[in-house]
Amino acid sequence: MDLIYTMTTSAAATDVITLADRASAAVDTNIWLSILYMVLALVSIGALTAVLGIVLIYAERKIAGHFQCRLGPMRVGPHGILQTVADTLKLLLKEDVVPASADKAMHFAAPLMSLMATVLVLGVIPYSPILQVTDVNIGILYVTAVSGLGVMGILLGGWSSNNKWSLVGGMRAAAQMISYEISATLSVLVMVLFASTLSLNGIVQSQESGWWIWRAHGTGLVAFVIFIIASTAEINRTPFDIPEGESELTGGFHTEYSGLRFAFFFLSEFINMFAASAIAATLFLGGWMPFYIEGFETFNKITSLLPPTLWFLGKTAFLIFIFMWFRWTFPRLRVDQLMRLEWKILLPIGFINLIAAAVIVLTKFYFFPV
Amino acid sequence: MTEQIKKETRKIGLKDIPVAVVSPLKKAQSGLSALASLAKGMRLTFSYFRRPSKIVTQQYPENRATLKFPPRYRAMLKLIYEDNGYHRCTACGLCDKACPNGSIKVITRKGATTGRVELDRYIWRLDSCVMCNACVQACPFDALEMGHEFENAVYDRRLLVFNLNRYAGPPASVMLKAEESLRPAMTEKRDRYGGPVPLNGAQIPVVKPLTIQEGDL
Repeated sequence: MDLIYTMTTSAAATDVITLADRASAAVDTNIWLSILYMVLALVSIGALTAVLGIVLIYAERKIAGHFQCRLGPMRVGPHGILQTVADTLKLLLKEDVVPASADKAMHFAAPLMSLMATVLVLGVIPYSPILQVTDVNIGILYVTAVSGLGVMGILLGGWSSNNKWSLVGGMRAAAQMISYEISATLSVLVMVLFASTLSLNGIVQSQESGWWIWRAHGTGLVAFVIFIIASTAEINRTPFDIPEGESELTGGFHTEYSGLRFAFFFLSEFINMFAASAIAATLFLGGWMPFYIEGFETFNKITSLLPPTLWFLGKTAFLIFIFMWFRWTFPRLRVDQLMRLEWKILLPIGFINLIAAAVIVLTKFYFFPV
Repeated sequence: MTEQIKKETRKIGLKDIPVAVVSPLKKAQSGLSALASLAKGMRLTFSYFRRPSKIVTQQYPENRATLKFPPRYRAMLKLIYEDNGYHRCTACGLCDKACPNGSIKVITRKGATTGRVELDRYIWRLDSCVMCNACVQACPFDALEMGHEFENAVYDRRLLVFNLNRYAGPPASVMLKAEESLRPAMTEKRDRYGGPVPLNGAQIPVVKPLTIQEGDL
């Protein structure tokens, strides 16, 4: 604990130690220690995936219940906390049905690809100054690229099922995700402009005197809103869940999936939600950085009493709650409305916002000191 | 709406299709109102979220004792008994006529002392009743109501046809006019499963009859 406090309260906050750093430092002296760190990284990412799946699905069902005047799961364990465990067991034990005319190899690969794309993102997210697998110096570019792979999984799943509804769902997903990727990237670029780094940890550290959402002269707020809308679409959640579209496509791309393969798709959806919230928190809400105001030393000391991991988790949980709130309030959009929202509304706003941010950064035309 | 919407045509394919031209200001206005309505929806769902008292789900069967019923919940048909133990049914048969599928049969008799038509048996078929409430609405004397007993599963369908009345005799209005000493002679006890019902007084040893209310039998 002391380590965390000294790191955040002093100027030494820039010293970030990731698991990859530790592994590479130990490589010359003790190869086994290095391997241990790598295994630790793998295990912790795996464990995080599992825990996130269980916690987020339970939270979703509970929150959905309360949004709709219901209770949600109540029977398995006290207040239903073991419901997800029971569901997972059920999915594991279920028969894995593969359609006779499906493309077997692709049908098998699609859910794995979808899950892989989301799990890879978890590796670069800075959970706290000392809790990160690796700090890639092109972190945010890596996140955008890797999470874009998720579309491949969904498209493959839709294609290989050899079912017209699945195919329509997969195609819709591809069209939607590629469209909204643009808006999300444009709003990420605004933050990159202000932070002048692509490294996720660098972006967090650039927010030491205030979070970008309000330090970026309004462009931060606009970018944040666009990013939230675009990532809601990218992670296929209502009101943008037309790839699934139960009412019209009987489940969309995962119509023909059952058992463990369906569980993979389901899990990757929830991990995606966590990843999107974590990235939004990192870019706009300061990541693990506590709420600091420059010059208010006492106030900063008080806010750093809470460890950085809790700050990060709190911000992420808040954004996840927002996503769930969206889902249980808004009706689903039509396909053409979805495309209009992206190409005619979000994209122009995103471009204007990016240009405004560029002008502000280049001319140092700040309304108030940053 | 004072502003006229300009009508234009646009060539789509080979045809000229009329297109309504909306000014950008109007578009922005409608966009803002859309945002406002989204915010309204979010406010509503959040108000449900933070008020657990609004939850309608009930933890049946644990809460059997404290079950809450909506005011218009309809289940078992009941004859209303006043505090003195007399019902209000005059055996007019309007409920019988109102019933859409003949689930009600009102059997009358001639009263021994009054000499007037009075209720003998009020036979109700739970197995064919659709709980439409027509009988309750048809009753001019408010003698009927839809009760809340809904755990009506039985192992023998003959148990689903039974008498609703505890006694054969005139309604409360007539009984109260009669002298106290004469009243017992005017009424006759009625069994739940007696008379022209499928069970007709027979006993099924293993099977329990439907919820028997206080004062029945």
